[in-house]
Amino acid sequence: MPSVYLDNAATTPVREEVREAMLPYLYGTFGNPSSPHRWGRAAAKALWEARERVAGAIGCLPVEVYFTSGGTEADNLAVVGGCRQLHESEGTPPTVATTVVEHHAVLDAVRRTAGEGDAAAPALELGVTADGELEMDRLTEALEGGPCMASIMWVNNETGMMLPLAEIAGRFAEREGCMLHTDAVQAIGKTDLSLRNLAVDMVSITGHKIYGPKGTGALVVRRGTKVAPLLVGGGQERGLRPGTEDVAGAVGFSFAVDLAEAEREERCATVTALRDRLEREIVRRYPGVTVNAVAAARVGSVTSLHFPDVNTQSIVFGLDMEGIACSGGSACSSGSSGSHVIDALYPGRGGASVRFSLGRDTTDDDISLTLEAVERVMARRS
Amino acid sequence: MAMSGGVDSSVAAALLVEKGYEVVGATMKTFCYEETPENPRTCCGLDGILDARRVADRLGVPHYVFDVEEDFTRDVIDDFVEEYALGRTPNPCVNCNGTTKFAGLLERGEALGCDTIASGHYVRIVHEGGRSRLLRGLDPAKDQSYYMWGVPAELLPRLLFPVGELTKAEVRERARALGLATAEKPESQDICFVPAGSYRDLLARRLPARHPALQPGPVVTRNGDLVGRHDGYSGFTVGQRRGLGGGMNERMFVLEIRPETREVVVGARDELYAKGVEINSLNWLGPEADAGERLRLQIRYRGAITSGTVVGRDSTGSVSFEFDEPVRAVSPGQSAVFLTAADEVRGGGRIERAQRLMPDALANSSIAESSSSDRSFGMVTLTST
Repeated sequence: MPSVYLDNAATTPVREEVREAMLPYLYGTFGNPSSPHRWGRAAAKALWEARERVAGAIGCLPVEVYFTSGGTEADNLAVVGGCRQLHESEGTPPTVATTVVEHHAVLDAVRRTAGEGDAAAPALELGVTADGELEMDRLTEALEGGPCMASIMWVNNETGMMLPLAEIAGRFAEREGCMLHTDAVQAIGKTDLSLRNLAVDMVSITGHKIYGPKGTGALVVRRGTKVAPLLVGGGQERGLRPGTEDVAGAVGFSFAVDLAEAEREERCATVTALRDRLEREIVRRYPGVTVNAVAAARVGSVTSLHFPDVNTQSIVFGLDMEGIACSGGSACSSGSSGSHVIDALYPGRGGASVRFSLGRDTTDDDISLTLEAVERVMARRS
Repeated sequence: MAMSGGVDSSVAAALLVEKGYEVVGATMKTFCYEETPENPRTCCGLDGILDARRVADRLGVPHYVFDVEEDFTRDVIDDFVEEYALGRTPNPCVNCNGTTKFAGLLERGEALGCDTIASGHYVRIVHEGGRSRLLRGLDPAKDQSYYMWGVPAELLPRLLFPVGELTKAEVRERARALGLATAEKPESQDICFVPAGSYRDLLARRLPARHPALQPGPVVTRNGDLVGRHDGYSGFTVGQRRGLGGGMNERMFVLEIRPETREVVVGARDELYAKGVEINSLNWLGPEADAGERLRLQIRYRGAITSGTVVGRDSTGSVSFEFDEPVRAVSPGQSAVFLTAADEVRGGGRIERAQRLMPDALANSSIAESSSSDRSFGMVTLTST
């Protein structure tokens, strides 16, 4: 049986360079970065270098990098902490805005936070079309109405669709009392982040989607932007994220970010060609199959395919039985497709949506094996 | 292999692996657990899914969680609510077995290359001479054939019930010997989508506001005398004895529920006896019964089985059955299952209504204490399979 992993948008293995970079900090240089002795200083030095490595790769300042346990924590910290800070500094709860295609880490944080405000106004959930267009007018309206905390993802995890972040950021420029956060978990290594040229206040990234360790990530917070911490404790990460730092994790994460960015252009070219072949072949072989968000700008590593008259789980489980890993929608939503993202982009449409996400290990043979497996699974339907 | 995470399906899976079957574990996710996180269950819930996965890992077989929420809501929950709204007492497990569980999972399994579906029910199936016959489980205390009559007959050749020949004690012993995590799990007693005893909350959530089934109404005798009030007829089951409050006689039993007037009709125990029963929504697993045929009938889970005669079938396919001896507590909505002398499940249906003996007639007939009085009648317990 083949063994083909096409679920790299879910998670990736730790690459060798990352593992090697982490090992010294698991035993030899194990100190607590807050300790004054040389064990502690050695750990603090590694942590700072990790911060510099991340900053250098994505175009921000080292002091703007706050290590977290991953994307979900970074998203929660940005949305909840950002809202609390705005509430305090502006004296009124901000309007909380996001999109209907957001990851649940943002969507649920936004909904909860919107309910916490004095006014308890519902969150503004901006519509997105399958062409990647955001309801910009409603966002502008919200920005004109007073303090606003917006969280808008850079690249959608289920479809690979890119949202027009530069344009959105433009609306926030120079607007007092408004904050823009972006979940860039699926963007890093797939598109040019160049934070130096982008007016976003906060950015979430994670390690495990780019061959770094799970449980690592960062929230980038622009200097001058204030965020209220969610945890209290020993004051680590300049008080924003207390708790003894995971030095090995931070080092591994920093190498993963650095390598992802350094290899990005070359990797994207290869992966996109493979993705295009998979997508083209499936669409050609099975009449009725379409590509979700095909008209939108998309990253090259993901394809989300819609199969009419099929159950998503039949395809995903059937392919697993054939040794191919892919992904359907999330398992706990009652919509027709099992995915709030697909339902938002294609309301009322039945059938199955299946995501294949490619990575640095994907080969042309993998694509051939996948196509053969899809053939067998589709043949069982009748 | 349908795996609920309970001990029965765990052992059934292990037995199939032992026999050399290529097993794929399947657990149904029947509703969104996030909506009822406070609801601890022993099967079918999130913990059940995790238990099933641990057993599958232990057996080295793949395991998938199938999201059947949409089908389950349509085919099982909606019907459950509708039946209570009509003043009847449904068996949702029968519906689930007849739709989502076997037909639904088999269809999903086909996409994975599976051709047979197995479950941990205590029933037996015999495939011989080109015919598949469903038989009662060998352990009389655990037999679950009562819940199986709704399975489409054409599926029978593709079903397997590995624990049907075993007793519960033997199953637990096998589970311990295999070191299965679920060996000591308690029996599940609730309906999987209803936390213990709170089906009225579900009705309140799913019925329109101020639905008559949830509104107070009169408690009357058969003569029409008002003897009390109740807080919603959906709380009652025909045959149930209960103190209806307000100094009501403790020996009163629910005889009938009249949704159109919201009346709950009560009477003495003797008034419950029925000489026959009308059954609709029939499904046959063996040859259809003919008028005049002698069969046995089970009208409650774990209830005694009574002998009688099929007296007629009308054009809609509904069947009248006459008991040899009068039977107490024939509850509309519950299942009536036809059994042969050889313990084969011939088919079944839903109880439409009891054909009551009049009290006068009763006075002259010598009724032994009915053999179905094997347990005191509290609320009819709907036992999840």
